[in-house]
Amino acid sequence: MAYIVVQILNALSFSVLLLLTGLGLSLVLSLMNFVNLTHGSFFLLGSYIGVQWMASGAPWWMAFPAAFVLTGLVGALLDRYPFRQFYPRTHLMQVLLTYGLSVVFADLMRWGFGADTLSPMLPDLLQGVVFVMGFPFPVYRLFLIATGGSLALVLWWAIEHTLWGAAIRACVIDRGIVETLGINTRRLLTVGVVLAAALGGLGGALGAGMLSAYPGLDEEVLLLALLVVVVGGLGSFTGTVLSALLIGFVTTFARMWLPEFANFLTLGMMALVLMVCPNGLLGRETRQL
Amino acid sequence: MTHRFAARRRSVLLAGAGLAASTAWPGLTRASGEPIRIALLTSLSGPFSGLGESMRAGLQLLLAQSNQEMGGRPIQLLVEDDQGKPDEAVRKVRKLVGQDKADIILGVISAAVALAIRDIVTESRTLTFIANAAANALAREAASPYIFRTTKTSWMLAHPAALWVHENVATRGGITLASDYAAGREYVADFEDTYRQQGGTLGKQFWTPLGTTDFAPLLMNVAALKPEFIYAFFPGADAVRFLKQMQDFRLRDSIRLIGPGALFDQEDVIPAVGAAALGGFNAFHQSPGAPASQAFVQAYQQARQRLPGEASTAGYATGQVIRSGIEAVGGDLSRKEAFKAALLAEPVATAFGPMRFDPRNNQAILDIYLNEVKPGPDGKPLNTVIKTYPGVQDPGPGNARP
Repeated sequence: MAYIVVQILNALSFSVLLLLTGLGLSLVLSLMNFVNLTHGSFFLLGSYIGVQWMASGAPWWMAFPAAFVLTGLVGALLDRYPFRQFYPRTHLMQVLLTYGLSVVFADLMRWGFGADTLSPMLPDLLQGVVFVMGFPFPVYRLFLIATGGSLALVLWWAIEHTLWGAAIRACVIDRGIVETLGINTRRLLTVGVVLAAALGGLGGALGAGMLSAYPGLDEEVLLLALLVVVVGGLGSFTGTVLSALLIGFVTTFARMWLPEFANFLTLGMMALVLMVCPNGLLGRETRQL
Repeated sequence: MTHRFAARRRSVLLAGAGLAASTAWPGLTRASGEPIRIALLTSLSGPFSGLGESMRAGLQLLLAQSNQEMGGRPIQLLVEDDQGKPDEAVRKVRKLVGQDKADIILGVISAAVALAIRDIVTESRTLTFIANAAANALAREAASPYIFRTTKTSWMLAHPAALWVHENVATRGGITLASDYAAGREYVADFEDTYRQQGGTLGKQFWTPLGTTDFAPLLMNVAALKPEFIYAFFPGADAVRFLKQMQDFRLRDSIRLIGPGALFDQEDVIPAVGAAALGGFNAFHQSPGAPASQAFVQAYQQARQRLPGEASTAGYATGQVIRSGIEAVGGDLSRKEAFKAALLAEPVATAFGPMRFDPRNNQAILDIYLNEVKPGPDGKPLNTVIKTYPGVQDPGPGNARP
């Protein structure tokens, strides 16, 4: 019993990790219909910022806002040039641009942060364990579940229940009509992209304690994030959350019972989901520009 | 990218300087005076780039100590990035052999890359030195007369580890845990073979995909089994995550962990995991605590402010082997057979330890160190030699596993 409870906590923490990788991408890809393959780079950049911040001796909890703000700034720069020119273009063009940029970023980060695997020096508070029915369970994972969970909740509320969220969603469906309402859609999309980049960075800083930071993490994260968003269904934030939970639980329990086939089982199940509902769990038909 | 071009520009400059020197004092250098082109093929992008950069740093240190010349001829260093991918490596080797006319190729982090370039370098009869990849096959059915391997085979690390575990840890009740790809499979199979031959019985074997992010589900199973020891192998970031997560779940103190040295690599893994590495055991041909590597360790620490691991030592040691070959033929690389004969004739003193080559497969015969990770003089975890298995030799071509 205790064993199952701990494994459920493990599954939850892995789901939150997946959610953190997918949040930003879900925002740009599913809500704004912009294929952003630099998302993994934002994540890795956030990880590096988190690691460096914690090593610098400054208050550790500031690492997360710092990663959020700094990667957000990078997002803002990219939005000015060259993303802006590519919002109205086809997905293929966006893929070419952002994939190229992600390769450039990978080189820049290897040059700037070195090629070594780095782990954040977590404060003692986060390095401890709590005993869950006699099993030691890391505090850090509980912290991850709590922060990731509340982040998702805030974002869900902002997108589904505020006027800003409604405007962003409307923008995706018909930008012209939103313009006629007197809303500056250009600015709205900028806010979306900056927020997505910042979320990627924050996810990276939070996830670094579990994933570490190293060259190549950007690609791994991008794949996970795409998986989460696509299985969840484009255009649905709740779908992203559900799919993170589904993938997290299937992967964890597959690793527990059949570790050799963990990847096969996870990906097989994803394929099954997409065969049954081709638009993802909660997806709706999206418009291809 | 910037590194690579900078490195190449520097080597061209140095070669130029060498050329100028040879025209100024014709008596001192060979009449031809042309530089020897040594090509380093390593991974400078992708997941192995940390290892690749260390390997390059080790080799550059040796070249600097040799004044950028060997056997009286200047050395021109070419550096190519294989990205850890076999197809990319094949393309780069074709370029090095065909266009750049490289005299010697060395490097190679990944076993898949080593096997992929085997046929090209053999057909073009290019002297090649595999400095890091461990695949057993290269010392057995895929051995090549033009490839020297200046590093271990998987068997050479797994075999002594099994002897040591059987003698000092436990004869039963152990489990294995490894990344599910060629290297992991080899390390575990060879460990199991020797351990069984000694009369030990091994428990469950766990495999996880390469690039596993969360080991927790597996660690719960391990904790429930309460094994006597774990024989484990994970490369790079997987090793870091595995050790840290074992520590997170408070399993590092209760279970003894033994593995090939890459699991506790001094440069690649230990700085990232810190105290979680303490108390780990590993069998490795490299140790910063080995007497043979002291001079190199000091020079490397001065150059990069850190302790060397396998890749940097491999870059340096392979350079030492190449240097002794070039000196034996007086810088005349057209005498390939004499070059090879010289290397096979007597051991080379390297930063790994004394290195002899097996004439059957050109595979290095090396001392294997049993390291324990203990707090060093500065309190940081340090691989410390607790036992040496001298002259470990791979079974070689006749004894390949079916």
